[in-house]
Amino acid sequence: MLIGLLILSEYIFIEPYITGHIPKGTEFGFSLIIILSALSALVLPMNVYRINILKNSKGKIGGSVFGSFIGAAAGACSCGPIGFAIISTFGSIGATSMAFLTNYEIPIRIAAIGLLALTYYTTVKSLKVECKLKPQ
Amino acid sequence: MNKKGIIVGAIAVIVAIGIIASYSSPSTETVNLDMGRTHGTVSTAMGSPILGDTSAPITIVEFGDYQCHQCFNWFHNTKPGIYENYIAEGKAKLVFVDLAFLGRDSPTAAQASYCAEDQEKYWEYHDLLYNSQEDKIDNGWANSERLKAFAFSLGLDMELFEGCLDSGKYSKRVQYNVSEAKKHGVRGTPNFIIVGPDNQQEQISGAQPYTVFKQIMDNMI
Repeated sequence: MLIGLLILSEYIFIEPYITGHIPKGTEFGFSLIIILSALSALVLPMNVYRINILKNSKGKIGGSVFGSFIGAAAGACSCGPIGFAIISTFGSIGATSMAFLTNYEIPIRIAAIGLLALTYYTTVKSLKVECKLKPQ
Repeated sequence: MNKKGIIVGAIAVIVAIGIIASYSSPSTETVNLDMGRTHGTVSTAMGSPILGDTSAPITIVEFGDYQCHQCFNWFHNTKPGIYENYIAEGKAKLVFVDLAFLGRDSPTAAQASYCAEDQEKYWEYHDLLYNSQEDKIDNGWANSERLKAFAFSLGLDMELFEGCLDSGKYSKRVQYNVSEAKKHGVRGTPNFIIVGPDNQQEQISGAQPYTVFKQIMDNMI
């Protein structure tokens, strides 16, 4: 996810050479991507574990997937190929939605991080209860 | 005699209608465009004037949008190095071709740049737009009023500029540039086609760092 987001947000380029750089003024956005990816890497496997091993409810994975998805969507810069494809396909509606995602990129990423942090907290809390060894 | 008179009269009327139509049509462009201007496979006839030495061996064709944040990043982080080491040195020249797709103000801003070109201030206006870009698309920073204010700050003849912008004089020029970009598979901004002395071409997508441009251009020289 980290690599994907960094490519989408144009911090890493694959062609013509693999290269990466952080333009001046985009350091904060870069930090948010790192935090978002780290939280997604923590929260998604924890919830997959809850579902697969503990056969528990699927409610929390919704929060983690949603948080990761909107965080990633905010990173899909409207200038890039994804934005261009959406605007070309959906016209003014696509342009308006891409403009929204670009204009509010930072607040959306912060909200996604908040959602993931909340999901992490509740997941850890419930795992502590569910995984607690019961006295014989 | 009467027959001849009718024919001459008819021709005169047709010529007069043609002249009147050519002056009244808002999309007519009177600027001197080199319609055959190409760089590599790209027709830059409707693009910007050339920045740098016209005989420079390398041409950088930039496809951009004045509301694009990545174009802003390239303008401020990569372009200065390219200008200093390649354009000012006569090794490369730059042509800007509009891919104005991001919002409703993008095509208007592109048209305004050509209205500034009418008064030989294209690059000054271009630079002013990228220096004035705000972080939100279509929030009004590039609306018609602001574009006129930018022109005023550059000391342009406002009657000419406003007439040009309000008439949509260059709307077809911008549309042509957008179609030229799409024809070359450009799918986002900024995007660059570097054309070498032997017409070899390299495409660079995105606001890539100076080192990438340097490596490609050094290989071409």
